[in-house]
Amino acid sequence: MIRKKGLIVTYIVLITASFLSVFPLYYMLCGATNTSIDIIRGRLIPGTYLIENFKTLMDNQNLPLALWNSVRNSVVVTFLTLLVCSIAGYGFEIYHDKYKDSLMSVLLVAMMLPFVATIVPLFKLFSKLHLINSVAALILPTVSTPFMIMMFRQAARSFPHDIIEASRLEGLGEIRIFFTMFIPVMRSTYGAAATVTFMNAWNSYLWPKIIFQSNESITMPMLVANLKGGYFVDYGMLMLGVLICTLPTAIIFLALQKSFANGITGAIK
Amino acid sequence: MKRILTLALVVLMAITTVFANGAKETPAAEKTNTLTVWAWDPNFNIPALLEAEKIYQQKNPDFKLNIVENPSKDIEVKFVTADQAGDYSTLPDIFLMQDNSYQKFIANYPGIFTTLDGSGINFSDFAAGKLAMSTAGGKHYGVPFDNGAVIMPIRTDIIAQAGLTVDDFNGVTWSTFFENATKVKKVTGIDMLTTSGGSEIVLMILQSAGASPYVNGKVNIENNKVLEEAIGIYARLIKEGLMTDYTDWDQYIASFNTGKAAGLIQGNWIISSITAAADQSGKWAVVPLPKLDGVAGATNYSNSGGASWAVSSSCRNKELAFDFLKTTLGSNTDLYDTLLVNNGVITTYMPAAKSARYQDNVEFFGGQKVYSDIVSYANGVPECDFGSYYNDIRSALTDAITNVVQKGADIKAEMKKAQEAVEFAIGG
Repeated sequence: MIRKKGLIVTYIVLITASFLSVFPLYYMLCGATNTSIDIIRGRLIPGTYLIENFKTLMDNQNLPLALWNSVRNSVVVTFLTLLVCSIAGYGFEIYHDKYKDSLMSVLLVAMMLPFVATIVPLFKLFSKLHLINSVAALILPTVSTPFMIMMFRQAARSFPHDIIEASRLEGLGEIRIFFTMFIPVMRSTYGAAATVTFMNAWNSYLWPKIIFQSNESITMPMLVANLKGGYFVDYGMLMLGVLICTLPTAIIFLALQKSFANGITGAIK
Repeated sequence: MKRILTLALVVLMAITTVFANGAKETPAAEKTNTLTVWAWDPNFNIPALLEAEKIYQQKNPDFKLNIVENPSKDIEVKFVTADQAGDYSTLPDIFLMQDNSYQKFIANYPGIFTTLDGSGINFSDFAAGKLAMSTAGGKHYGVPFDNGAVIMPIRTDIIAQAGLTVDDFNGVTWSTFFENATKVKKVTGIDMLTTSGGSEIVLMILQSAGASPYVNGKVNIENNKVLEEAIGIYARLIKEGLMTDYTDWDQYIASFNTGKAAGLIQGNWIISSITAAADQSGKWAVVPLPKLDGVAGATNYSNSGGASWAVSSSCRNKELAFDFLKTTLGSNTDLYDTLLVNNGVITTYMPAAKSARYQDNVEFFGGQKVYSDIVSYANGVPECDFGSYYNDIRSALTDAITNVVQKGADIKAEMKKAQEAVEFAIGG
């Protein structure tokens, strides 16, 4: 009897939690297919206004360009971040130096510093380098993050050192050991890191907004912000914009879901 | 080895993409005859620029505008960053700024503006209350754009159920308003007003009597009798169930679109959100907000929101920018006619307001001459000095009225606290 009661409570909690997390997505989907006034009036069933909303969105904003810029920026950021941070994390763990722990502490302190606090100095730096309004200025501050380095260092801890020793005996160079031994074994860590980095890069708003000065650099979050920038908000168009902005991260997450879970819990079984 | 080589090539390619893009983009404004402008509304101020560009091209066929869409808050963040980093090279040639932010930016970041006094624009043609917002130390920093006159749109069908007409709310005092609003609530059960944003409505009432919260360089909140009265009115509206204050803007819009309220008090730019509910056509009328009883200088007119065009200090071609603004937004009445019809932009440029278009009967508002009415309200707005601290004052007063309404705090004590909070925020 008590077990049954416990089960009921569990179900109620789980159903409520699922509802709370799924409802906003459902609302967004419904909104994208309804007129602005219907959304305001609280219509909760899908409508027939999807194509009109899409047309308005296309008339209002440069959607293909924003999508392309976001995809390009996020892919390049993810690729470079994974490369730089995994080499750093690997180096921190595998090679020995008496100062490496002190250096790691400095990195961890840097992790506590909010990005907003570094915006003005970064802007000054990139302006001196004449890189304002360039993709380089967007990417360079984000390719090496203390969190990712720490994550790869933690993951490298579980990487069997015997493999490295054996490879060295076989005559493999250090770079080849990293690329041919470490990367394939740590695939799930890379998957998890890729998911987190891609999402952060896709959603980043403030820094791109500050360093990009032209319409040609518009990204998806900027496009969504523009949809809400006017005196009158077309909620149907806004919901569709948000939906399109959410889809790529959802797809990436679903595709890498398995390695994400494995990567978080540890790459080596 | 092949693998490593491939990887190295991919890395090289990624890095090349990154830097090549950086070198490729050159600011369009460096070209002659092109001006870069930052604005934020593709249905409102951006079409105004496009129309102005067309007009200016008749005089200067090679002229081009490079319009960059940025939400107003982002424009401000970009300015603050550029100013703190000491690099103005990223600023546009012309930008739009919210009137409420003008004084703060002129005081704290004077380096971003160019004064417009040498532009040849006749500033006396603009409504005085509006012009004051972008003027400091006798110098003009902005060309006024949209009209922020406060209106009180009301639902004629709802008030009719209580046996009332538009005249019962038109140009009345707050005491008459309370009488009639109570009747509406009693008969229909519907709130007379809806609002969002806490103290915004209090500031509108304050301005309607010209009772500045900043006088002679000092914060004037604690002993401001008119402010005490305005907070009292807000508290009474909430306590008697005549008005609901929504913390969420979208819920606020929904409240009048769905008929949960019989009216609202807001800057006239809210009209586009009201008319979005097309099925309510003919059921609305526009009147000015009620006037304070027994207060010297009290009027039915106030201001909320609106924006003005500024020329940045790093403008690459100031002569061109001045001439463009002077020829189009600073003098062309045809431009304002087009903007009124196509985008609902109500001007503060007085000669334009005299045109025939402004006399049009607007069907949505039961055939009322809404545009000319709003212009007449704008001309009656008393000047009200918020110093550079509109947002600080607004936020302190929002705390004050929340405490008054939710905790039953004493109005006078809360005003004292608000005075201290604003003084602390501005450092003196």
